[in-house]
Amino acid sequence: MIKIDESTRKQFLECYNDREIMLEGHILKLIDSTGDQEFDSYIKIAIERDADNRRKRIDFNKEVQKQNTQLKKTEAENNDIKKRLRDALTTAEQAKNLAINDLEELQKRSQVELIGTIVKVSLWIVCAVGLITTLLFGISLFTGVDNKIVESAWSNMFGILLTNSFSIIGTIMGVKYASKKD
Amino acid sequence: MINSILLVDDENLFHLIFEDACNLLDITLSLKSLNSAEKAEDYFKEIVAKTRKRPDCVFVDLNIIGSAFDGVELIRKINFEYGDNVVIGIISSSDDQFEQAKAMKAGAQFWMVKTDEIEPRLEQFKKDFDAYLNRTQKFTVYK
Repeated sequence: MIKIDESTRKQFLECYNDREIMLEGHILKLIDSTGDQEFDSYIKIAIERDADNRRKRIDFNKEVQKQNTQLKKTEAENNDIKKRLRDALTTAEQAKNLAINDLEELQKRSQVELIGTIVKVSLWIVCAVGLITTLLFGISLFTGVDNKIVESAWSNMFGILLTNSFSIIGTIMGVKYASKKD
Repeated sequence: MINSILLVDDENLFHLIFEDACNLLDITLSLKSLNSAEKAEDYFKEIVAKTRKRPDCVFVDLNIIGSAFDGVELIRKINFEYGDNVVIGIISSSDDQFEQAKAMKAGAQFWMVKTDEIEPRLEQFKKDFDAYLNRTQKFTVYK
């Protein structure tokens, strides 16, 4: 225990009487005031005041701690909501991209199908024209009718058809390549 | 009264609450608070190197945020590397029995649940302290 000398004791008491300033903290519990009623009363009041202050501080700190815990909880909830929103946004973005891709695919496919139909019809026309011309030329050959005009028409027609056939075959190949799935 | 206590907890606000509670309950006049497991380990290394007096009792938080290892690991280190008859235990907001078993295995003598009302638990701990010091008190959970 700590013994306080007379002069220091007097100064402590004066300080309290004049300005209401007292000792505080753990040191109060180490001061020996036995046998001195006035100083003993001073120490008791100081300990009580210190305890009051500590009680107030402890209550305040507990309140702050509670609020901190609540804030942390709210922050965690907010982060969770943000994460879920981000995930939902990503899913929506993916669905949108998928829909756009499907639409493009559909448009491309219908275009390809149209081209395919045109090509098929053209091929049938080419074959039909070729067959009819050949048939006419054959008839004119067997019947002995003047076949100069049919002959030249047949050869011209056949040449044109042959050239066009390559073009059509090329188109068919192109269409097939374009419509091929990855 | 316990001569000296060391508190290891990352929450600085809890240091103040603990200190005030210890003062109001006359538990100790000498309390040191550290906020990381590394600092606590360094503190014990220094005690061993300079052959200074160890704290009588150590309260360690279970999850010391910002530290390389947790409270259980710190208890293991203090117990098996630096400690010598130090009463040591966990102070945590968790009441997980699995963690309590782990802490006990590491050498913890008590587990104090950290909630708003810490004072009654500290008061009970103060009563049991001598038994902890004599190693006659079994592992206790204060909740």
